Amino acid sequence: MGRFSSILLNIVAITVALIGMAPFALLTLLAFSRNPTSIEGFTHENFAFIWTGKLFADPRYLQIYPDIHLVTLNTLALALGVSGVVVLLSSMAGYILSRYSVPARGTLLGLILALHGIPVIILLIGLYFLLRSMGLINNLLGVIMAKTTLDLPLGIWVMKGFYDSIPWDIEIASIVDGAGRLRTWAKVMLPLIRPGIAALAVLEFISGWGEFLLIYTLIFSNTSWTLSMVIRGLIGEMGSINLNLIAALSLYYFIPVLIFFILAQKYLLKVSLGGIRG
Amino acid sequence: MKNDKVFFIAGFLGLPIAVVILFLLAPAMLTIIISFTGLDHRLRWEYVGLENYRRILTDPNMLLFIANTAMFVAGTLAFNVGMGLLLALISTHVIEPIGYLVRAIYLLPRVTPSVVFAFIMLWIFSPLDSGVINSTLIRIGFNPIPWTTSFPWLFLFIVNGLVGCSLGMLIFTSAIKSIPSDYIIAAKVDGAPYITIIFKIIIPMIKGHIAFVTAYQTLSLITSFEYILLTLDGGPGYYTTEVWALAAFHKAFAQYSLSSQYGYAAAMTSFLMVAAAILTILYWRAFRLREMISQPKIEV
Repeated sequence: MGRFSSILLNIVAITVALIGMAPFALLTLLAFSRNPTSIEGFTHENFAFIWTGKLFADPRYLQIYPDIHLVTLNTLALALGVSGVVVLLSSMAGYILSRYSVPARGTLLGLILALHGIPVIILLIGLYFLLRSMGLINNLLGVIMAKTTLDLPLGIWVMKGFYDSIPWDIEIASIVDGAGRLRTWAKVMLPLIRPGIAALAVLEFISGWGEFLLIYTLIFSNTSWTLSMVIRGLIGEMGSINLNLIAALSLYYFIPVLIFFILAQKYLLKVSLGGIRG
Repeated sequence: MKNDKVFFIAGFLGLPIAVVILFLLAPAMLTIIISFTGLDHRLRWEYVGLENYRRILTDPNMLLFIANTAMFVAGTLAFNVGMGLLLALISTHVIEPIGYLVRAIYLLPRVTPSVVFAFIMLWIFSPLDSGVINSTLIRIGFNPIPWTTSFPWLFLFIVNGLVGCSLGMLIFTSAIKSIPSDYIIAAKVDGAPYITIIFKIIIPMIKGHIAFVTAYQTLSLITSFEYILLTLDGGPGYYTTEVWALAAFHKAFAQYSLSSQYGYAAAMTSFLMVAAAILTILYWRAFRLREMISQPKIEV
């Protein structure tokens, strides 16, 4: 390839990158726009809800849209809950599957791989009645458990991969020293796979933070809403009037994802491969 | 000592397995059981045998849902895989910082909360004058075009394709990077133009990866409906973009709970379950996924 065409290709790549950035750049511009329906003028008033917690000055809307501080806490609880439980359970199961020859290990691993692809739609109706009977419907805890379990097969695979990459000698030395299996796992292995734990924790935080479908089906009262439900509600009700407000809320919702994404991009470009639905 | 090991394994493996059984396998089984009942908003569990299945097979709308699903899967897949391949080819043939930037940016739609990405795309392609494209058209003196109502499928291909293309992009990138450089250098020495190198060397060598991504995406797209729900919601008009999975979802979780037909919807998802199971078994054979069991999946 000649020098000229090489430069040309780099320019094409930069253009492609800019096109990919455009939707997010446009969102940012709209969020700071004074005009409610187009990018025009500059204001930060659209973000007033961050301090006041209220999306609208009109008190009638408070009935429909809960306090944004509460909604943010709900979203955070879901994200941290999913991330914490997935990391804990995956680093337990992943360890056993990587190190111990349990009966039917191959079948188990195959099953986990198959479960990873199980579509949400197949679970939703059963989940709705199951959580109802357990008293976990309309409860964020129910959503955390449902979401956790959907993501668990991937988590176990990822953690198993990280354990597989650690040599055995350190661990054997520790067990021979009489440290006990639980202690060896907690004090020797977990510190060694810290990059894996961090990567999975971030991936699952993003996954829980952005969840929509499970909240939409399993939560009824707006006091348990997350940001996705508020934005969905706003799009439905005033998707053509208050675009700049929706954009501001969307940007507020998106920024934590972006920060985590930038911090963990190196891992995410590898790990997120498996975590895909469509 | 032996006991200690058994307890350790049972605890560490048992807890995650119990969670999976309770929140994954049990709901799936429950859905199948519900498909044999007439469960609706009155919440009465009465056994109706295969009645729901009979009604589905005789409902004239089902052909429409199947056709819509085929359309959705085929179109999104073409966009997905094509875009993924294009991004992988571009990002591996430029200087690495730029290539990395391209890949990172096209991974963003996947990690963006679905409602946010749906909102942005709805606004860009809005049929109203306030949409990004339409307001630009008006400014430069053209007439606005009702994008999402005139081209609903194309819109859905773009939205779902942008979310999905990063899978192909990342897999193809690592495949292209692992092609021995001698092949390409030899072709260059022979004076082959780059387009020939792409079609005669690169694509044939990553054929397997293309097949894998296509297969994997087909499986997940058949049951995918979240972004349709969030954007066109089966419209515009009468079931224009209502795919099978979305129709099942609407039947169960309708806007007004009085019209919820859980039994019927559960039977609809059973068909999806069967389709997904058949495809999984086929792929299991075709791609020898069993080999993946012995290898860690992370280092793709």
